Amino acid sequence: MTQTAFKQERVSAAGASVTLRGITRRFGNNSVLEGVDLDIKPGEFVAIVGKSGSGKSTLLRVIAGLDHDFGGALTIGGAGGVKTTARIMYQEPRLPPWASIIDNVAFGLGPTPSRQDALSKARNALEAVHLADRGPEWPDVLSGGQKQRVALARALVSRPDLLVLDEPLGALDALTRIGMQSLLENVWQEEGFTAILVTHDVTEALTLADRIVLIENGQIALDLDVPFPRPRRRGSVQFAALADELLSALLKSKSQTEEYVI
Amino acid sequence: MTDLALRVSGKRVGRGGALALPSRLSPKGIVPWLLPLTILIVWQASASLGQLPASILPAPSEVLAAAWRLLRSGELATNAGVSFSRAASGLIVGGTIAFSFGLSNGLSRLSERATDTTIQMVRNIPNLALIPLVILWFGIEEGAKLFLVSFGVFFPIYINTFHGIRTVDPQLVEMARSYGFSGFALFRRVILPGALPSILVGLRYALGIMWLTLIVAETIAAQSGLGYMAMSAREFMQTDVVVLAILIYALLGKVADSAVRVIERLSLSWHPAYRKGRRA
Repeated sequence: MTQTAFKQERVSAAGASVTLRGITRRFGNNSVLEGVDLDIKPGEFVAIVGKSGSGKSTLLRVIAGLDHDFGGALTIGGAGGVKTTARIMYQEPRLPPWASIIDNVAFGLGPTPSRQDALSKARNALEAVHLADRGPEWPDVLSGGQKQRVALARALVSRPDLLVLDEPLGALDALTRIGMQSLLENVWQEEGFTAILVTHDVTEALTLADRIVLIENGQIALDLDVPFPRPRRRGSVQFAALADELLSALLKSKSQTEEYVI
Repeated sequence: MTDLALRVSGKRVGRGGALALPSRLSPKGIVPWLLPLTILIVWQASASLGQLPASILPAPSEVLAAAWRLLRSGELATNAGVSFSRAASGLIVGGTIAFSFGLSNGLSRLSERATDTTIQMVRNIPNLALIPLVILWFGIEEGAKLFLVSFGVFFPIYINTFHGIRTVDPQLVEMARSYGFSGFALFRRVILPGALPSILVGLRYALGIMWLTLIVAETIAAQSGLGYMAMSAREFMQTDVVVLAILIYALLGKVADSAVRVIERLSLSWHPAYRKGRRA
């Protein structure tokens, strides 16, 4: 993999710290999160895994600031104690089709950047995801994986301290997915932001994360450090053993979604 | 290895474009004009051979001669100009009001609750049914035509603006909000471009209704304009002028439709359905 460093000076390479204390979230009578406590260190890559309906995406939306109706305390400390906003990468690319690829990336800088500055930053971010020459085209000519790379560039262009990823690789084919994982890992290592990735893919979590948090029925059921050196080899024995442990933990957990009334 | 995978996928996607010839230069470009041309030839031939009395339908050459006559006297230009300015002012007045209502009802639930039901009720009145009332209110002055055309173009523009704004992808709106877009910036960068295809469809419908309404209004109650020209020609049995007026309507309708197509192609160049060539 070639170097993916941005061509700009980065002053500090530290990410944001994230602290959750007793986070609860209800939808009507249905309690989705029941007191989640979690500490994420600056620059850490944390994967949140869990069955569908376990509350992992709800937790992510709370952290990302998309959901404000939660109980408990959420603190996001930017580098040097500065308050920061999370950048989000969704499962879908969410690229407005009426903006060219480079303008889509510039979206990440918010509503009022200076045009010249925005374009040069967007170009650098596109270069980091290996799409430097596609800037003037419309997004719909891109493949699914390329669209997600544009979405990644858009999330990174403002050089966030915290990047929140909501199963961004879930819809990609296996090969593209592996490519994206290593791109994500490289960019994360270059940029030093804190990354929180929601995924249902145990292998993906093990490949990317420093730490894996298993959510079950709205609570943290397992908090596991992943000690392997990077870049990780999926074939190793330890890797497979840990994957097995995680999978069995996932499978034996009872999900609320299995309760039916006919 | 991963780099290779990325690069290969990049190349594969790069070549989607079909090798289409510019349609105007290809022989296919003539096809749409073959039928009208044949009709014209048969029409001219049967009129010249005396099969078609001029009192029923004058020959195309006579219509052309009438056009030339009226053009030289300035009558045609005056009447066409009057009709055009009536159509344009009606479209601007009705379109602006409709667009404002569509925007505010699309963006605000409160505004929708307050006005949408009323608009939907009024929409079901055929606008030409108002002609007797409008004549009583405005006489046969300009106000009558302005009112009828504005009324007619209001509904297609209102409904399509409203619908366009309501159907903007909520995922894109959420994405833009998460990047700090709100208020006018959100409207300009996400909501308006997302609603534009629908708004332009509304505009095209409105143009059709605009001509229909105007012509009926001018035929019934007017002292100038193309509709008036046709009606006064009928009184003197000038079938050539009547046919000329009808042909001009067809032409103006086509011009208006083409104008919207050009607007669509310019403003919706991102849309796969309107794209002519890929932006390089």
